[in-house]
Amino acid sequence: MAATLTGSNTKLRDDLIRLLGAERVMDSTLERHLYAKDAGVYVGNPTVVVMIETTEEVAQVVRAARRHGVPVVARGAGTGLSAGAVPEVGGVVLVTTRMNRIEEIDTENRTAWVGPGVINLDLSAATTPFGMHFAPDPSSQSACTVGGNIACNSGGPHCLSEGSTVNHVLALEVVTDTGDVMIVGSGAPDPIGLDLRGILVGSEGTLGIVTRALVKLTPNPPDVRTMAVAFPTIEDAAATVSGIIAAGLIPAALEMMDQLMMQAIENWLHAGLPVEAGALLLAEVTGVTEAVAAEAEIITSIAHGNNALSVQVAASPEEREILWKSRKSAFGAVAQAAPDYYLHDTVVPRTRLVEAMRQVYEIGERYEIIMMNVFHAGDGNLHPLMAFDASEPGRLDKVKAAADELVELCVEKGGVLSGEHGIGIEKRHLMPLLFTEMDLDAQARVKEAFDAEGVFNPGKVLPEGSRCFDFGRPVPEGAWV
Amino acid sequence: MKSRFGAIPAADISADQAIPPAEIAVAPTTLEEASQALRIATEQRMKVLIWGGGNHQGYGHRVHPDMVLITTSLNRVEVWEPEDLTIVAGAGARISQVEEMLAEKGQTTLLPHRSPTATIGGALAAGLSSYKRFRYGPSRDRVLETKVVTGDGRIVRSGGRVVKNVTGYDIPRLMVGALGRLGLIGSVCLKLIPTPASAVTVTVDDPAAALAALYRPLAVLSTRSGHSAFLWGTQAEVESQASRLGGEVQNGHAWPPRRLRQVAWSLRLPPSRLSEGLGRLPNSWDYVAQQGVGIAECATDQVEIGAATELRGWAESVGGALVLTNGPETLYERIDPWGTPPAGLDYQRKLVAGFDPYRVLNSGRLPGGV
Repeated sequence: MAATLTGSNTKLRDDLIRLLGAERVMDSTLERHLYAKDAGVYVGNPTVVVMIETTEEVAQVVRAARRHGVPVVARGAGTGLSAGAVPEVGGVVLVTTRMNRIEEIDTENRTAWVGPGVINLDLSAATTPFGMHFAPDPSSQSACTVGGNIACNSGGPHCLSEGSTVNHVLALEVVTDTGDVMIVGSGAPDPIGLDLRGILVGSEGTLGIVTRALVKLTPNPPDVRTMAVAFPTIEDAAATVSGIIAAGLIPAALEMMDQLMMQAIENWLHAGLPVEAGALLLAEVTGVTEAVAAEAEIITSIAHGNNALSVQVAASPEEREILWKSRKSAFGAVAQAAPDYYLHDTVVPRTRLVEAMRQVYEIGERYEIIMMNVFHAGDGNLHPLMAFDASEPGRLDKVKAAADELVELCVEKGGVLSGEHGIGIEKRHLMPLLFTEMDLDAQARVKEAFDAEGVFNPGKVLPEGSRCFDFGRPVPEGAWV
Repeated sequence: MKSRFGAIPAADISADQAIPPAEIAVAPTTLEEASQALRIATEQRMKVLIWGGGNHQGYGHRVHPDMVLITTSLNRVEVWEPEDLTIVAGAGARISQVEEMLAEKGQTTLLPHRSPTATIGGALAAGLSSYKRFRYGPSRDRVLETKVVTGDGRIVRSGGRVVKNVTGYDIPRLMVGALGRLGLIGSVCLKLIPTPASAVTVTVDDPAAALAALYRPLAVLSTRSGHSAFLWGTQAEVESQASRLGGEVQNGHAWPPRRLRQVAWSLRLPPSRLSEGLGRLPNSWDYVAQQGVGIAECATDQVEIGAATELRGWAESVGGALVLTNGPETLYERIDPWGTPPAGLDYQRKLVAGFDPYRVLNSGRLPGGV
């Protein structure tokens, strides 16, 4: 829509240049193109891109954008996969990567105040000397920002035991729709009033812009055991996952990959993965040595009960490292299979894992799409990856149709649309699969409470027309409702 | 009235629960009945007080209701998936009964239930967590799905019955601690935790040293009579952790008894300020303090407004709060139960307006009279 700066948009750019200086306001065709998409498949159209450095600048940009009637789309490293940071209807793309200061590490309270542009892994690296880390560990953690993690309520392999990002955020400094700054949440437990911090995390930049965060740090475990268990089939591996959870064990992580994915990874990483096996389960237990030993034993025994071919225990930190590297770099390895990929994210109850996986492959066969899988099995969080060539006419549409079918299948099994990537543009049209009009209307009221004029990231999360249900709104006194 | 409101089980309205006088008390048995009752309340502009077991009514500003909505008939356990570690239960379900059921398969909600009549909805609405939160985090981290009835009678489902979910705004989390201002919590899906095999309590001299010596213990609690570390895990794990402490070891968890006093305060501080906070408590106050968490639950028979105000001033100056959680009605007229309202009050009001446009439900109970 707002493809070029004309009329009032030129004035907006002038205002922004006055605020930030010309070098931090970018609107050339190339620059706008660079910030038009995230790591997914949707492409937007930024009006102008700004690199901000301070909270006050964010507040001023929001006020300026509002004055000119142009929306603001916050963006971190752009590693998102649901198009949450894609400026679909134009607007100011507000890039937070320069707000990357770790301001304060409080070792006594195990917290840190950080800027939204701090890279996830940098935070854990900075806190390692104190024996702590930031628990959310998405696969993109060497590139993604804490601000992006907060926007999407990101997960990662270890959120099986530690929970998603929201469990690790204590307070937020936020620029509101009016361009004011507020701090919600607290370093003290159970802050009084409604939990605004909790609703802001995972709101995909639609309710406000986070300019600082007080995050919780997690003590590093005294001992860790990482195991790679090979199975003849994906069903055996999935049954093992169900068995482990049913046995009352919540390991630190339970990750699974199928044969195609293993082969792709092995071809370039040479990690020694058992490529002849049908599936690999990566299980990690952490804690005091005695607990780790006992839990590893239980997992091994459940695995053998489900036809495990081999159980390999990482004997050194280096071996553990390479196992995790194979898991977290899986998506890069896919380039060998096809030039493009669509990485999906859905969740099923853990008890339905086996049947869900079977159907995922069926969908792949039906659409003739290479379906590779590497996912957070312990949470029931599936990540089918569809490798394809976008230059083939009609191919992307076919992939998107298969993607929708995958979601429908998971919802039928009692699952949800997304476990950690968010809804963004990608899945908003599927929201009615899970929610009634009345449910969606309630969510739209949350948006309305924070951003009635639609300043922040318009069009994301909720399908158009969600705020439709006016029952109970203007009830005349004495009327029957 | 029966068809509209459902029957009121007489057994649940006993004198000791002290349900405040109101024009009418209703005990819906389904969310649809609750919805009808709240539509009528909205139409008649009635003030509604939600009442579960009557255990957490001391939280927040006082409500003088026209209607009391009793939740104890919304007490069904709809689904329990032991293999998936999830449960769906009505808000009026008693935590003690649910826990008894879950214990059969070694699982727990971790919700606190020091009173046998405490309900799931009541504990969540008040934002309560058990002493085990040092290890497992607060209750709000385990609320996966809610079905709520809004002030104007809409039935709204949010979240999902899976352990990991970012589908839409996290309304379930927002319901925790909202004291019913965003709606009656009708039913919830909770993430369960497997109960480990072994549990011990170890007395310790120095709680800070105990916290430093242990890897993520269940809790380290302090009272006026001493400090204890609470351990949970496999037998080998618990034994090894206990041996690091060297104190007297007792099998099982000897949680400090709850002292029933006239006045209860919840002191909430950044964990590193807890010791200092305990030093500032008036001598007449008993307490159970959660080391590493920063909460001290205090109980006293004295109404010491001056001392409380001074303590609150200090607590707020270090980023904490002192919250009145129980006391005689007159006390609530003399001191604000919450203290200084938090930032973002405008947004809290707007959120409430979206869910309870006519200020029907527990109106005014939250900080700042929200």
